[in-house]
Amino acid sequence: MNSAAESRIARAVAVPVILIGVWYAWTTLHPTPRTPTPGRVAAAAVDMIASGDLPLGVLQSVGRVFGGFALAAAIAIPLGLAMGTRRAIERNVDPLVESFRPIAAIAILPLAILWLGTGTAAAVTIVAYAAFFPIVINTVAGVKRVDSTLLRAAATMGVDRLTILRTVIVPGALPSIGVGLRIALGVAWTAIIAAELAVGAKAGGGGSGGVGQMMFVFYAYSIELNRIVVCMIAVGLVALLLDRMLRALNAWLMPWTH
Amino acid sequence: MDALIAPKLKLDRVGKRFALKPGEAVAAVEDFSLDVRQGEFLVIVGPSGCGKTTVLNLLAGLELPTSGSLSIDTHPITGPGADRGVMFQDYALFPWRTVVGNIEYGLVYGPAGRNLSAAQRQARVRHYVDLVGLRGSEQKYPHQLSGGMRQRVALARLMANEPEVLLMDEPLAALDAQTRLILQDELLRIWGQDRPAHERRTVVFITHAIDEAVFLADRVAVMTSHPGKLKALLDVPLPRPRSDRTRGDSQFQALAQHIWSLIRDEAYRATVA
Repeated sequence: MNSAAESRIARAVAVPVILIGVWYAWTTLHPTPRTPTPGRVAAAAVDMIASGDLPLGVLQSVGRVFGGFALAAAIAIPLGLAMGTRRAIERNVDPLVESFRPIAAIAILPLAILWLGTGTAAAVTIVAYAAFFPIVINTVAGVKRVDSTLLRAAATMGVDRLTILRTVIVPGALPSIGVGLRIALGVAWTAIIAAELAVGAKAGGGGSGGVGQMMFVFYAYSIELNRIVVCMIAVGLVALLLDRMLRALNAWLMPWTH
Repeated sequence: MDALIAPKLKLDRVGKRFALKPGEAVAAVEDFSLDVRQGEFLVIVGPSGCGKTTVLNLLAGLELPTSGSLSIDTHPITGPGADRGVMFQDYALFPWRTVVGNIEYGLVYGPAGRNLSAAQRQARVRHYVDLVGLRGSEQKYPHQLSGGMRQRVALARLMANEPEVLLMDEPLAALDAQTRLILQDELLRIWGQDRPAHERRTVVFITHAIDEAVFLADRVAVMTSHPGKLKALLDVPLPRPRSDRTRGDSQFQALAQHIWSLIRDEAYRATVA
C-alpha cells in the first residue's frame, strides 16, 4: 500500500475514531448501569448479528424502503413532469402538495392502518408518502430549470412536443430529479421507523418486523438501550450505503454532469 | 430580375410589440419590410437592442408579429419549422448529448431525417463532422469543448438538417477575435461560396460587428433602434470567394465606414446614455 492510499484511509476513519473516543470518555466519566458504552454496544451488536435478528431486520426494512421509494418515484416523477410543463396542472396540484407536505409521515399512520391494516402494505405506503414530496418538488424545479433555448432549438428542427418532452425536458430535468431521488431515499429511510410501527409490535418478533420495529420494541417494551444504539448505527450505515449507490447510479446515468 | 423571382423570405410591414405591463407596450420592431432572395447571404447589422434578434425570431416562427406578415416561398410563417434552421447565439447544444448526438438530433427526431436510412443518416453526420473539423471529438460532451468547437457543433447540427434557410443569431459573438476571423472564412466555405449561386442556401445572419457583416454578406440590412427599423439596405459587390485579402480591400473599408456612419450617432447615444 502506498502512502497516498494510507493517508486517504487515515482521513476517512479519523472522525469516527474521534467520535468513539469522545463517546468512550463521556460514558467512562458518567457511568450508570444502563449507559450504552462502546463495549456494551459492540457486545450487543455481535449478539444481534449472530442471532440473525439484525441482518433480517435490516433486510426487511430495506425491502420496504425500496418498495415505498419506487412507488413514490412512479407517481411523483410523471406528476412533476406534468406540473412543470402545464401551468394549469401546477396551479391546481401545487397547493395540495404544499399543504400535505408539512404533515409528518407518522401522522398518517392511523389512516394507513385503518385502510391497509397492519403489515407491509401500510408500511410501504407511509414510506411512499414521505418520499413523494422531495421527488415531486425537485422534478418540477428541474423541468422549470431546463434552458428554454434548448426547447426552442428542438422546435426549430421540427420536433413534436411529446418528443421534446422525452428528449429535452426529461434529460434536462434529470440532474434535479436525481437530487430529489437522493433526498427521497434518505427521507424514506427516516420514515421507516414510523412506517414499521404499522407492522404490529407482536408481528413474528425478532427481526421480522424490520429494524424500525426492533427499535420500537427495544424502546417501549424491553428497554435495551445498547440494542437501540446498534440499530441506530445500522440505520446510519445502510443510509450511507444507499446514498453512495444512488450517487453512483446518477453519475452513470448522467455522464455529462461531471 | 428580382421582380420576376419570388423572394425566399418576405417581411411585409412587420411590427412586433412586447407588453411590459398591462396597457403598456414597447415596439421592438416597426414597419419592417424586406425581401430575402433565394441563395443570398443577408446580414442584418445594428446597435445592441435594435430588434435584430426579434426579426430573426419572427422569421424562425418562434415569435409571431403583432402587425404585418412574414412568408417563406409565399407561405405565411405561423410557427417554427424544419425548413428554417436556427443557430442561436449561445449555441443551444444539448449538454447531455455528445458531439455526434447533437449533430444527429434533428435527423433522428425531426422531419429532416425521415427519408434517410440509419446508414445514410450516419454518413451525413460524418460528412458534417468532417466539414466543420470535429473528427476525433465525436464522443465528447459540449462542456469538454472550447467555445470555437461548440460553435462548430452548432453549425454542423444546423447544416446536417439541410434546411432551406439558415437563420443565425450572432453565432460568432462569443468567440475571441482570432477564432472569429477563422470561423468567418470557414462559414463562407461551408455555406458554399465556391459553388454557383443557385446551389447556395439562403442565410439571414445577425451581427453587431460591421466588418463581419461586410465580409460575409451579399447584402447588408442596417437597422436602427427604438423602434427597430430598417434604415438602409446595401449591396456588397465584393467578389467571391472572399478571403483575408478582401478585408484589406479599399472597397471593403469604404463600405464598413459607410455603415458605421449610418449607426454611429445611435451607437454613441446608446453607449453614453
